[in-house]
Amino acid sequence: MEILVCVKRVPDTSENEIELNREGNDIERDDLVYSVNEWDNYAVEEAIQIVDKVGGSVTVVTVGDEEDEEVLRREMAMGANNGLLLADDAFQGSDGRGIATILKAAVEKGNYDLILTGALADGGEAQIGGMLAAMLDVPFASVVNSIAVLDGNKLKVGREIEGGNQEMSEIELPCVLSIQTGINEPRYVGIRGIRKVASVEIPSMGAADLGLDASAVGSAGARVRRMDYFVPEIGDGAEMLEGSTDEIIEKLIEMLKAKGGLK
Amino acid sequence: MAQVIADRRDVDFVLHEQLGVASLSENECFEEFNKKTIDLIVNEARNLAVKEIYPTMKEGDQQGCVFENGQVQVPECFRRPWKLFNEGEWLAMNEDPEWGGQGMPKAVGMAAADYFNGSNYAFMMYAGLTHGAGKLVEAFGTEKLKKLFLKKMFTGQWTGTMLLTEPQAGSDVGALETTAVKNDDGTYAITGNKIFISSGEHDLAENIIHPVLARIEGAPAGTRGISLFLVPKIWVNEDGSLGEPNDVVCTGIEEKMGIHANATCSLALGGSGNCRGWLLGEENKGMRAMFLMMNEARLLVGMQALACASSSYLNAVNYARERVQGRHLLKMADKDAPAVPIIQHPDVRRQLMIMKSTIEGMRSLLYYVAFCEDRIRVSEDEAEKAKWQGIIDVLIPVAKGYVSDRAFEVCSHGVQVYGGYGYIKEYPQEQLLRDCRITLIYEGTNGIQAMDLLGRKLGMNQGKPVMDLMGEVQKTIAEARQYAATKPLADEVEKMLNKLGEVAMHIGATAMSPKVLEAFAFAHPFLEVTGDVAMAWMLLWRASIAAAKIEAGTKKKDVAFYEGQVKSAEFFIFSQLPVTFGRMKAIQNMNGAAVQISEEGFGGK
Repeated sequence: MEILVCVKRVPDTSENEIELNREGNDIERDDLVYSVNEWDNYAVEEAIQIVDKVGGSVTVVTVGDEEDEEVLRREMAMGANNGLLLADDAFQGSDGRGIATILKAAVEKGNYDLILTGALADGGEAQIGGMLAAMLDVPFASVVNSIAVLDGNKLKVGREIEGGNQEMSEIELPCVLSIQTGINEPRYVGIRGIRKVASVEIPSMGAADLGLDASAVGSAGARVRRMDYFVPEIGDGAEMLEGSTDEIIEKLIEMLKAKGGLK
Repeated sequence: MAQVIADRRDVDFVLHEQLGVASLSENECFEEFNKKTIDLIVNEARNLAVKEIYPTMKEGDQQGCVFENGQVQVPECFRRPWKLFNEGEWLAMNEDPEWGGQGMPKAVGMAAADYFNGSNYAFMMYAGLTHGAGKLVEAFGTEKLKKLFLKKMFTGQWTGTMLLTEPQAGSDVGALETTAVKNDDGTYAITGNKIFISSGEHDLAENIIHPVLARIEGAPAGTRGISLFLVPKIWVNEDGSLGEPNDVVCTGIEEKMGIHANATCSLALGGSGNCRGWLLGEENKGMRAMFLMMNEARLLVGMQALACASSSYLNAVNYARERVQGRHLLKMADKDAPAVPIIQHPDVRRQLMIMKSTIEGMRSLLYYVAFCEDRIRVSEDEAEKAKWQGIIDVLIPVAKGYVSDRAFEVCSHGVQVYGGYGYIKEYPQEQLLRDCRITLIYEGTNGIQAMDLLGRKLGMNQGKPVMDLMGEVQKTIAEARQYAATKPLADEVEKMLNKLGEVAMHIGATAMSPKVLEAFAFAHPFLEVTGDVAMAWMLLWRASIAAAKIEAGTKKKDVAFYEGQVKSAEFFIFSQLPVTFGRMKAIQNMNGAAVQISEEGFGGK
């Protein structure tokens, strides 16, 4: 099975203090430590596991610039077979539809049976997978937490439903699935894997290579524009308890008692 | 979440901006290790350290190791990271791929080690000891022993230890009493008792391989009669399969101040007369073998100490940014003035600056020593190789002794910045202080390190390595003179370097005079001042790179980092080095009170 996994390089929140930039339209990105979007990492692991079982290859793709190449290399060190960087100045400032348009063009340049995305990334929109499926006119399943390959060009996929319920569906290939965390346990990358991809040239494609009209993507083609970006003001009625854990617990119990929550 | 182990920007700075380790990839043996690969390696080491090893640090400390019926259980939470660590093949990252290593430059290995040790060095000791033992097999084992043991050790399937210490033979290794008698099949029957054996018994691996120092019957007394043996916990058959238990019995583990999660074992060898081992290297050459491995082991101890200090600092600075307590000093009279984060209080800043500048200097120094190893590897010029080896030899007692002394002080400041919270177990600072303390003792106490510097290293090869080292410092001074921000710092460092030269001549000459005892009573102060100058060198080097970047114009957030570098150097050179100058004067005075006082004069009887 030929699988394409769409990945994104995002700020690593485990060791970064995220602050707003001075212009107030984004976070301060200089000097952040970046890594692959967590959901995408699960998707790559799932793709590797499927290929281990049924054969084929895994290609990881991202839309970005040269710096984003590092997440492709990282996922290849993890076990993906190929990387593809979609980079062009014209792609800068794309909205979700723009990114999906670029990815669609890349999908059409290949011959993929299955396309995976993370369920969402740092922006929280959770839109790329669905848009991409619609543009490609293929079936789509979101927040997928299990995949089994069936005979007859079909998959059986599990989806996480509100309230902790589980839904199982059959879906025809080719299709797009957006992957939920927890679907597997992504492997760590060891030195051997890193050495293997150290000197691999990762191909890059721009708007012309993809046959894209530059005005249809990037900020020129964006129909969603961010107008403002800020940390909401803390409203009334919230009180932050301070002190050691024991002190906080003690205060909390007192408050609950005072307000009748604890008798 | 803020960084808790090592500041990634700082690690990258040392690797790429200070040492330029990616340039090693111009050499065939390191050609895979370009900048992108190095960055990926550091990313992934950090990733594994932060996500899988760091969460075991506190739990490991609280649970400790359990000794029951001759067996030791490590904390349960160690099993998963141990498996993942070995799957990633991190244990022998710098070693020969033929034996399961990954052939990585040592300087890059230091960055990975920075994260791994900082995430839980009691855990990492199981790997570190295994690596050291593996190196002994690699250097001194026959082809047969290498085939039987090396790959399994370098891949973590079997672990290793080092059996030197006995109850009466600690710093004086030559006093050891473990004996070896040759058997008909060429192996040796080993009998004796060893103590303080880190990772000596545990249930992380199916076999434990002990390099053991012992005396062959009839061998000369003292260190000249010591041989090295390889003694597995479970006997290994010729075909590599496991045989019978080899009569290596754990008789107990120590209750320690820190590193609770690493088993410190007493081992009885041959208590039932059935312990066998293979000779490693030549008879009576065991100490020489030890010396070959000593530099690496001591550098690792320096790294363990740095790792504790680095975590303690990052915790402290983050705490100081968040902990609101007391009004700003300039608003003390204003009762309505709000309380401020304690990072605004001058005394807290003073402590944070001591911590910051010390850690940065130490990190650079340790990576530099490893980088010298890489330079030896890539050089084909014997004189150049000898030069870098000489510099390593001189710097090792500093990298172990000075660094661990200072790291402990940093950890103490780390407790202090937290105030009362620093002293309680709810916060990590007290554990870091406890864990750090052993680094001043094991792998040669810091007193031994000081004697090594004065007695062996200072006069080695007619002082050439010391002169080479001073030449390297001079290069940094010349470079730093080019920038307005670092010129005055360079002038100070040069003064101190010259003064250190004088002090070295004086103490070196005294050590060869009838006042030899006086000289050795000042060996540790001499190690301290040498270390201070080494710190000043590294900080000046960092500052001159930063000054150049600031002058050339740089990204906004980098400006804070680079200015921080210049401030670290400025703080250390103007606020700490004057104390060093006083210490140097004390050494030159060489007052003999410590030597002359009678034993009764110490009182207490």
